[in-house]
Amino acid sequence: MAALRRIACLLAHEPALEGTPAIARDLLEVALAHSPRVEQSEQGVVYLDVAGLHGLFGADDEIGRRLARAAADRGLRIRVGIAHSRISALIAARRGDDVTVVEPGEDAKYLAPAPLSLLDPSDEMAARLGRWGLRTLGELAALPSAALSERLGSEGLELQRLARGEDPRPLRPWEPPLVLEESAEPGWNAESLQMLVDLVTMLVARICAKLVKRGLSADQFDWTCRLIDGTVHEGSCAPAVPVHETAAVQALLRASIESRPPRGAVEAVVLRARPVRVTPAQESLADRSRPSPRMLTAVLTRLAALVGAPQIGVPALLDSHRPDAVAMESPGRSMRSAASVPNRCALALRRLRPPLPARVTLTAGRPVHLHSDRLTARIVASAGPWRSSGEWWTEHRWIHDEWDAELAEGTLCRLAHDGSTWWLEGIYD
Amino acid sequence: MLNAFPSGQLSEIVGPWSSGGGSLLLALMARITASGNEVALVDGADAFDPASAVAAGADLSRLLWVKCGGRLRAALGAADLLARCPGFALVALDLGDLSLTRREFISPALCLRLRIAAEQGDTALVLRVPHRLAGSAAAFAVSVRRREPCWIGRPYPTRLGGLVSEAFVLRSRALRPKGGEQRWLIPWQL
Repeated sequence: MAALRRIACLLAHEPALEGTPAIARDLLEVALAHSPRVEQSEQGVVYLDVAGLHGLFGADDEIGRRLARAAADRGLRIRVGIAHSRISALIAARRGDDVTVVEPGEDAKYLAPAPLSLLDPSDEMAARLGRWGLRTLGELAALPSAALSERLGSEGLELQRLARGEDPRPLRPWEPPLVLEESAEPGWNAESLQMLVDLVTMLVARICAKLVKRGLSADQFDWTCRLIDGTVHEGSCAPAVPVHETAAVQALLRASIESRPPRGAVEAVVLRARPVRVTPAQESLADRSRPSPRMLTAVLTRLAALVGAPQIGVPALLDSHRPDAVAMESPGRSMRSAASVPNRCALALRRLRPPLPARVTLTAGRPVHLHSDRLTARIVASAGPWRSSGEWWTEHRWIHDEWDAELAEGTLCRLAHDGSTWWLEGIYD
Repeated sequence: MLNAFPSGQLSEIVGPWSSGGGSLLLALMARITASGNEVALVDGADAFDPASAVAAGADLSRLLWVKCGGRLRAALGAADLLARCPGFALVALDLGDLSLTRREFISPALCLRLRIAAEQGDTALVLRVPHRLAGSAAAFAVSVRRREPCWIGRPYPTRLGGLVSEAFVLRSRALRPKGGEQRWLIPWQL
């Protein structure tokens, strides 16, 4: 015989408090104190499985009152709904005052007079159902499913199922967040940088072993050093890609600590890692393999020592008409597939960063001579100006008149005028 | 011609400004990123224009851009590091700024080191330079020169349409010219 399914839903009494983090945390603790199977939804609503609690706490209404008292002990007034499914329990909690129990098998009957808004449909769906004259869950539940699916698709069918109280998905048990932290208080003081690095290296090995055991990687490492004078030295570093290889993390942390060492002897160290789950680097055997995260992290660390971390990244065009509107994004981002772009022989522009100030001689409004630190020559042909401007509503308004010019020796370049000064922006190559 | 750049070898694109050499490098980067592979660009003078790359069909999300701020040694070191990192189909080293290559002498030993790095990483390492640098260390070298610009509009130009450049192979271990030099006329469009 199948076990009777009973789900309780806990909601804050005041609707305005539903979903606030502090309330959600309190509700979670109340639920965990009564049942091991608890689910916390994204909106902070808490569900718990009360099917096996009758022998301990009594009937459903007694369980509900017990939950409410536990919440009141924490200074929290809650509403409790107990029913066969999550949706029925949620609606019972929302419609009721304190404790509302929907008897087994009565879900559809209880939900029938409830308003459609309790299902939180999308604005468009709510408008369509309203135009059809539907106001209650019972009216929606009574519609023929096949015709509803044809008119409203899968979303409409899902709403109808919920309106009938049908929600067979089992609870997703809440799990405490994983904390990866290792500490060392060796009893002697790390008086040199090498001693500190050795300590941290040992902690890294332990943390990476935990990561590997759980199939995780870490995208950030934080350390806290307690110095002998009582002060605290903190730092953090983020690898370009999430890693779990011990050697890569040790190299990364060594470089980070050496770049900003503590100002005294260290008596204790705590190292924390932020775990993430990463997708594989090669998603298909047909794809060429990408640089492995471990190698890429090591290479990027050494590149950063050569040229500086802000000089390395993946370029991204910004949504702006401002010239050279480009951002550098972290190289650790997962690679996206490109939209199909016609491949043509495009003439490249070599930009001068920053643009060079120039003296341009005009005749009849057209540039005839260029003088700058990089190029000085007669202009034999030119086209322009191509005018653009923007951000006039801000303090950073800009004006940009572009000219393409051919110099006497054959160089093609781009000039720009911002209303007061000429600039040599780039050279076509 | 883009297929002629060998993988696991050092190559050179030689030509002055406005010869089309930068556009040729960009076309190579676009071909490789658009086919789903990763490219690293070591930009000696921070001259790379992402908008030009997108116009050429490049997938910027597969491009790692390393800006060297005019420092030649940093650029060479970065290219060496990236060439040895397996996974990049192309490592491009853009030294197209004349002032970069005049400031310091690039020894043949350095070029040989770059060639070995390309072999180890099985990547195509391509230099964009104003004059030949790699010598015999380069398995493939192509020279690019400007033929004529394309101005549109009469009686006076109203816009720059592009540039026609001519490319010919200076050195190739793989290609053997059948009836003389291999030359290409390439119309670059703006």
